[in-house]
Amino acid sequence: MNNISSSIPKIDHLEKANGSAIYVCDYDTDDMLHGRLLRSSIAKGIVRNVRIPELPDGYFYVDSTDIPGKNQVHMIQDDTPVFTNDVQFIGEPIGMLVGPDLKKVGSLLSETQVEYENLAPVFDARGSEDIFFDFNIEKGDVEAAFAHADRIIEGSFETGLQEHIYLETNGMIGKFQDGKMIIHGSLQCPYYVHGALVDATALTHENVIVKQDVTGGGFGGKEDFPSALACQVAIAAFKADGKSVRVVFEREEDIIATSKRHPSYCDYKLSVKDGKVTGMVSDIIVDAGAYTTMSMVVLQRATIGSSGVYNIENIKVRGRAPKTNTVPNGAFRGFGGPQVFFAIEMMMTHVAKELGVDSAEFKLKHIVQQGDLTSTSGKYHFPVPLKQMAAKVLKESDYFKKQKQYKNQTGRYRKGIGFSLVFHGAGFTGNGERDIIKAVAHLKKLKDGRVEILTANTDMGQGLATTFTKIVSKTLDLPPEKIIFSLPDTSRVPNSGPTVASRSIMVVGELLRRAAIRLKDEWIEGEEQLIEQRYEHPSFMIAFDAVNFKGDAYPTYSWQATVVETTIDTLTGGISIDNVWGSFDVGTPIDESIVIGQMEGGIIQSLGYAIMEKCTIYNGAINNKKLCDYIIPTAPDFPNMNVYLYVDEYPEGPFGAKGAGEMSHVGGAPAVLDAIQNALGTKLSKIPFMPEDVLDILREEKLDD
Amino acid sequence: MVKNLLPETLEDALTIYFGQPELVPYSGGTDIMVGSSCEDKNFLFINRIPELKQIRLDNEFIRFGSACTFTEVIENDLTPTILKEACKKIAAPAIRNVGTIGGNIANGSAKADSALIFMVTNSLLRLQAHGSERILPLRDFYIGRSKTAIKQGELISEILMPKQNLDNYYYEKVGARKALSISRVSFAAILDVSDDIIRNCATAFGAVSDVILRPSEIDNMLIGKSIKEAKAIKSTYIATLDKAIVPRSGRVSIEFRKDVCMNLISDFLESNGI
Repeated sequence: MNNISSSIPKIDHLEKANGSAIYVCDYDTDDMLHGRLLRSSIAKGIVRNVRIPELPDGYFYVDSTDIPGKNQVHMIQDDTPVFTNDVQFIGEPIGMLVGPDLKKVGSLLSETQVEYENLAPVFDARGSEDIFFDFNIEKGDVEAAFAHADRIIEGSFETGLQEHIYLETNGMIGKFQDGKMIIHGSLQCPYYVHGALVDATALTHENVIVKQDVTGGGFGGKEDFPSALACQVAIAAFKADGKSVRVVFEREEDIIATSKRHPSYCDYKLSVKDGKVTGMVSDIIVDAGAYTTMSMVVLQRATIGSSGVYNIENIKVRGRAPKTNTVPNGAFRGFGGPQVFFAIEMMMTHVAKELGVDSAEFKLKHIVQQGDLTSTSGKYHFPVPLKQMAAKVLKESDYFKKQKQYKNQTGRYRKGIGFSLVFHGAGFTGNGERDIIKAVAHLKKLKDGRVEILTANTDMGQGLATTFTKIVSKTLDLPPEKIIFSLPDTSRVPNSGPTVASRSIMVVGELLRRAAIRLKDEWIEGEEQLIEQRYEHPSFMIAFDAVNFKGDAYPTYSWQATVVETTIDTLTGGISIDNVWGSFDVGTPIDESIVIGQMEGGIIQSLGYAIMEKCTIYNGAINNKKLCDYIIPTAPDFPNMNVYLYVDEYPEGPFGAKGAGEMSHVGGAPAVLDAIQNALGTKLSKIPFMPEDVLDILREEKLDD
Repeated sequence: MVKNLLPETLEDALTIYFGQPELVPYSGGTDIMVGSSCEDKNFLFINRIPELKQIRLDNEFIRFGSACTFTEVIENDLTPTILKEACKKIAAPAIRNVGTIGGNIANGSAKADSALIFMVTNSLLRLQAHGSERILPLRDFYIGRSKTAIKQGELISEILMPKQNLDNYYYEKVGARKALSISRVSFAAILDVSDDIIRNCATAFGAVSDVILRPSEIDNMLIGKSIKEAKAIKSTYIATLDKAIVPRSGRVSIEFRKDVCMNLISDFLESNGI
């Protein structure tokens, strides 16, 4: 392993551990105003009248009539209003009450009444006729494959909502002074927020400044959403006479009103000939919620990933994102991957069961190899180390022996073991980096010989400040103390793109490495120097056709093989995770501790997604809006994790690194559900899978006896 | 104006409380501090009163001071294992270090993990007010969902657990995860058998209904019986319990709660050869 991987203390460790880091809610609010959003109480309807109580001096209300620019939050499409008059989900912002005392603002808000003209909402994605996106992939000849098949096996799969539960809720502070709008807060993508603010405020680019505050977790939840909150805060800041306006959500508000992972419904048909899968037809539905936000790209990734890690020559995939009158679903670690990889992984185990063969061996027989075509007829350009990685976890876990041993158990406790194989396409889908992002990174050498990293990328706890520092420090042969990494400020940093899509190290990290090489060459002692590095699209890539879904969707892939062992309590339905073995290829880890932390964290989040985190909506209203109702894992829940790093160096990434952040959230759910299948001797197709579901199955088992 | 009071003797506390019955008694604060329920209230802090922090033994009872924290209860040698086990499953270490058994009872929750053990052991509460006191079976303290029989000016001073053979017990907490978990069903049972005769049989079901269920009349069916006789009436016993347990739906379904209760009672009996 390249010695860049040796861990160093995270550079933001101390300030976070000793409490000196300043988060949005830590600012002194003596001279600030507090805002709270007036939110819709109905799922669909027209706002006819808002009756605000008489406001004391210093208090004011803003709504759509106060927006100098467009009443649109610029994301990919601009259908999300800043403040609505045409309600599309419960909790949608209609206006904001602002004043010096937060409690008073709250009581004024509770006295505010909204009159609506109610319209009929749609809650069932499968019944929605309003389809935001409809994508199709065709490869090979599916009709022929199905016509010649020995068997055609079908399956339907469902996944639920997932809430990010970042430690720090969303929060933003805005101030309008001297013609400039300065917004800072908890966010992943300063330039996304900046772009949205320019449209809503009608100010020039230079007069809008966005800064990231120390951010306590994102997981994608602060990719699209902060753009909306920033616009709302900015509109209030216009009226605040130069004072800052701050909005920080309580947990309940954050759960009700911010984005979540798209629930999904996937129908599969696989054709089998001579024991091999020859064709696949899949129909993928992800519930977009009320606005498009990130659904287009989430659906792209889901559609492209729906054949999993398998080389299925003939495929036909349809992916749709229907609108429902629920809170918009957006970016979340894995981005459509967790849904479809759950579906295809379970589907492969079901097919194996139907064929009477071992499911792990069946999967391994089908995995892609270097040079094979991807689902979009692009190419796997680089080695696919899944076989070696799978061998490692299968051996360490003693999978084959246990899997047989755990069949047909009786008694109170039943054990099970399960296996999954997944990938995550590293970086943006298709030509996004080349055509849309066009990342630029700067390295600024100061006179005293220190070097400052100037990028728009954010550290939200994932370790980017440390990994970027290491890349530059290693390349320049300078100690990390000589490298400066500050929280990004759009008035100082170029647009190196958002901190999403497992792209930051692979793409921006490589820009920094190349900039550092140049700086080293051009180094002039005692002088200030600025190196600018622009993105270059890898020349090997087959251009992606985003209409027909043809070409290289991703330059390369990260890979994961996972085994999970579980114990089921047949009396209480309790599902315990006994052990996890995961082998991960994310290329060269830029920092081994950080990568292992990311892998463990993603596995935990993925297992929570599978067996704990249940978020239901009744008539458009979220039921599980408190941390005592929305259950995330704690340390004792998943104690034993064995993480193995397999390194296949990516030549276009810094020191061989590729995407790391998201993938570990993809592999856990199918592995644990497979383990539960093993324990209960049944086929499963739905997450979250809860103790109640265990007892339902056992009740049926009793009836069958 | 906020007037928080910090008496150092029980007598002082009761006197203050008598004069200001609107005060909220505050010991660990782990429930009170949740959400906004502590805003605009004045507190009577009862966590510095030595009398309320003792655990001792007399002829009849193990006496637990109500302001003992879960950690103090867990670490005390007088505490029976069943109570230690239940307390260890409460929340997480930080909360166990300040949350108290008195608070666990006073909030009237049917999900209270330590209260379940006090119920199954037929424990009593010593309730003290300025100039008066009374002893009340814990079972009679719970009168409805989050409703208790506490009177104005009264504090729970002690929980009195009758001395009994608690060696053979059965305890299961079903939560949504392994720590920081609110019970979705909890079950505790005691079976004391000597010379093949059931001397004591007690069950209690938590988090199922508005109050912790303690079906002692039904459990009495088994008391005085031999194991063989108990086996003979097992199906009647279970059927009677089945009728008596009427779960509420909540974070989990009625069916789930019922199934778990019946599964656990069956396992309790089977594991004792009944």
